[in-house]
Amino acid sequence: MFQNLLFGKLSLAAIPFDNYFAMGAGTFMVLVVVSFLVAMTVFKKWSYLWNDWITTVDHKKIGIMYLILAFVMLLRGFSDALLMRSQQAIAAGDSLGFLPPHHFGEIFTAHGVIMIFFVAMPLIFALLNMIVPLQIGARDVAYPYLNSLSFWLTFVGAMLCNTSLVVGHFASTGWLAYPPLSELYYSPDVGVDYYIWCLQISGVGTLLAGINFIATILKMRCKGMTLMKMPVFVWSALCAMILVALAFPVLTVTLALLSLDRMLDMHFFTDFAGGNSMMYINLIWVWGHPEVYILILPVFGIFSEVVATFSQKKLFGYTTMVWAIAMITFLSFVVWLHHFFTMGAGADVNSFFGIATMIIAIPTGVKVFNWLFTMFKGRIIMATPMLWVTAFFTTFAIGGMTGVMMAVPPVDFQVHNSLFLVAHFHNVIIGGVLFGSFAGVIYWFPKVFGFRLDEAWGKRAFYFWVAGFYCAFMPLYILGLDGFVRRTAHYANTLYQPYLIFAAMGALLILVGILCQVIQLYVSIKNRHALHDRTGDPWNGRTLEWSISSPAPIYNFANLPTVESLDQFWVDKEKHRSEGYVHPKDMHYHAIHMPKNTSAGFIIAIFSGITGFALVWHMLIPGVIGLLGVIATAIARTFSNDVDYYIDAETVKKTELAHLKELV
Amino acid sequence: MNEADYGTGQKKLGMYLMGFISCSLLTLLSFWSVMSQRFSKFELLAVIFSSALIQFLVQVICFLRLTTETEQGKTNIMTFLFTVVILISIIVGSLWIMWNLNYYMMH
Amino acid sequence: MHNDAVLIEEHHNSDSTDVFGFWLYILTDCILFGSLFATFLVLNNPGFPGPVLKNYVNLPDVFIETFLLLISNFTFCLATLNLYKDKLVKVQLWLGVTFLLGLGFIYLEVTEFMHLANEGFRWDVSGAISSFFALVGTHGLHVSFGLLWILILMIQLPLIKLNHVRRRRMTYLGLFWNFLDIVWIFVFTIVYLMGAI
Repeated sequence: MFQNLLFGKLSLAAIPFDNYFAMGAGTFMVLVVVSFLVAMTVFKKWSYLWNDWITTVDHKKIGIMYLILAFVMLLRGFSDALLMRSQQAIAAGDSLGFLPPHHFGEIFTAHGVIMIFFVAMPLIFALLNMIVPLQIGARDVAYPYLNSLSFWLTFVGAMLCNTSLVVGHFASTGWLAYPPLSELYYSPDVGVDYYIWCLQISGVGTLLAGINFIATILKMRCKGMTLMKMPVFVWSALCAMILVALAFPVLTVTLALLSLDRMLDMHFFTDFAGGNSMMYINLIWVWGHPEVYILILPVFGIFSEVVATFSQKKLFGYTTMVWAIAMITFLSFVVWLHHFFTMGAGADVNSFFGIATMIIAIPTGVKVFNWLFTMFKGRIIMATPMLWVTAFFTTFAIGGMTGVMMAVPPVDFQVHNSLFLVAHFHNVIIGGVLFGSFAGVIYWFPKVFGFRLDEAWGKRAFYFWVAGFYCAFMPLYILGLDGFVRRTAHYANTLYQPYLIFAAMGALLILVGILCQVIQLYVSIKNRHALHDRTGDPWNGRTLEWSISSPAPIYNFANLPTVESLDQFWVDKEKHRSEGYVHPKDMHYHAIHMPKNTSAGFIIAIFSGITGFALVWHMLIPGVIGLLGVIATAIARTFSNDVDYYIDAETVKKTELAHLKELV
Repeated sequence: MNEADYGTGQKKLGMYLMGFISCSLLTLLSFWSVMSQRFSKFELLAVIFSSALIQFLVQVICFLRLTTETEQGKTNIMTFLFTVVILISIIVGSLWIMWNLNYYMMH
Repeated sequence: MHNDAVLIEEHHNSDSTDVFGFWLYILTDCILFGSLFATFLVLNNPGFPGPVLKNYVNLPDVFIETFLLLISNFTFCLATLNLYKDKLVKVQLWLGVTFLLGLGFIYLEVTEFMHLANEGFRWDVSGAISSFFALVGTHGLHVSFGLLWILILMIQLPLIKLNHVRRRRMTYLGLFWNFLDIVWIFVFTIVYLMGAI
């Protein structure tokens, strides 16, 4: 009895010894974790890890941790992609490939969940964390402790998803887990439960981060920075976070209702006893559509920054850019039905949402033209970030066009759930979110780490990625138009096979691209002294983050800046700092109020992870302990008075003068 | 400025009392009209929904003290209105879609 | 070091930002409840199978619950008024009253749920009933959490030395408690009264 309360459904049988891929991947994962733990012990880095990273509330460090999480999970998500491409390249006609359908299902589900929730979202939050406070002239985000909590919750969600690889297995329902397949009857094992809880936990983290950044941007801009003087990246961040705050509660509810169906035998989405599985699809896309705009809006912001900087010209049409972002934000809440045109609503409903979907393409078009007009008559520097931007223009335009095609319900009826759809969304996510994130990471890497990334390997990575992307996904458009359905482990018609082999080649090219990026990182770290960013402004940038040293000091700005116009830093540089310039030696420094590190965020996240794992395996005692731990830690934190400290003026002065020495 | 700007109006007993009494009356009206079984379905729906909406506004103004007097108050109201717009779009949209799906797919 | 005026301004700004953040959280909770309402309305579309709430619920009990919550909303505002007059004993008194009224609300709701379940109006019988328990239950969970919070605040108030921190924490809970009563307006109207028509 006690054993049941403690272990629930968990037993050694949960480890999938018969699944060689899972065992291989799992062994690899365990080896990585163990070597990390061993290295920390051997090099005596535990207190460094705890004090400088695990308990940090510094937005810059939290951003770096998000970035590391994103790249590590990219490797896992991409391995899933390689497995799928290989399977589809082989499994034609008589050959069944090497992945049975159920495993294939787990792989495409894990691929989707990981790429959206544990790669794309962390990439976005990495860049937001690293840069937004700097661009608005603030010392940190509005709620540093919540910021730490948000990261660790996301991290724990990702780890729960990784755990499902070796203890039990993941859902095989697709990344949105439609009922009735995701209901207990058709998915009686723990897969869907893992899915639900890893998303619920990281979802809370995301929601809190959304609130955090809205408050930061609305309340902590430096003096003189009105809303219309913010960089466009900050505008895009604000609107994306508004989308997060309004959409994520819907995801929380929907997944909670699904878990109630599974755990307490309720009937929200069952197809009998008064349930309605179509309601799940409706609700999940009420969240799902804003989610894709959450991914793309910050990236639009990145492009605005990169294009302006590397064309050495003011961004064209700032006001229309802002309006376009605002329009997209609002419209993204009235188009969600286009994800299920074929579910059978009437022509009136379908045409309303079809028209709304076509309308939402217009503001994006405005933005693309504004970027092009920015480049026109600019003195363009084709550094790697700019390369990614040009690839984005073409790639995203194609993806957008196929999207507008599918906005027409009769067309969608032909291509829904075919590879045409799969090609479209990879087109916009890779061409938009991923290319943009790469541009942003390379652009802002020096600000965060103090040295630039190697240009040569960056360019190589770029060429392989772009070539790989087109080879992997253009054939899918053709196959989709030919009727090839998505999520297929095996197909009878061998005429499709050449296309899929070509696509697999594309995936291999992308693999080479990723390897180039890994090498780029290695080479850059090795040559970091040669690539050192001495001035803090390696690209001749326009916005405030380039006015401080690289990496930024812990307090960001010794004296919070005052802003009079857009691109104030550029304006200052143009005026050659001749008017009103105060030498750092003569500036008045005062003590700076800073938030103290805390372990509460990490501990709450760990307890959440325990609760999540316990819920998956129906382990009552650990579940209760986990839940009580979360609540108790959160309450205990509110009793603490030791939450801040001051950096004294002398230390600030010393740091600033040290940077000045480097400049000279 | 003596107080932090929470975006709420002055805390006054008068406002709270007025809010409390109005809400009590509106609640009584709603419950009584349904429990008395004297009205038609349409009339009842009209009464309870308008009573709910008015009570909602009373609570927002008298208890939450949302106000346009301060800068923060204006920000609070704008975020609130935007949320309400999205909320209505989600609820009305979902009801329309689900009714439509039910009509075309479940008959 | 800092002089007092700068310190005070810093506190005002950060307090204002902190309360704004909590307000944003309340707005996200609106969306949460909105989704639950949408689900309720869809699954309770006329013609749904299974038992109907009308036959099981006791409206007078709901009426009492409603008034308990409404009065507690008012007593919390009284507590807030007293806090701003620095009458800390009265604050504790009114917080205690609020707690008891809220506890009464939860007690009535829990006994109602148990009664409904015993009579066969159970969450695993139909989607309509599942959505009832999800919506009303989520509200009840929020209120229960609020009760715990009132207790914690009652413990913390004497321990907090700074006025602005007391007022800020009171404001959070006030927003939360108020918000729950506002949600309840829609719950009793749409779930109970509309269900009884």
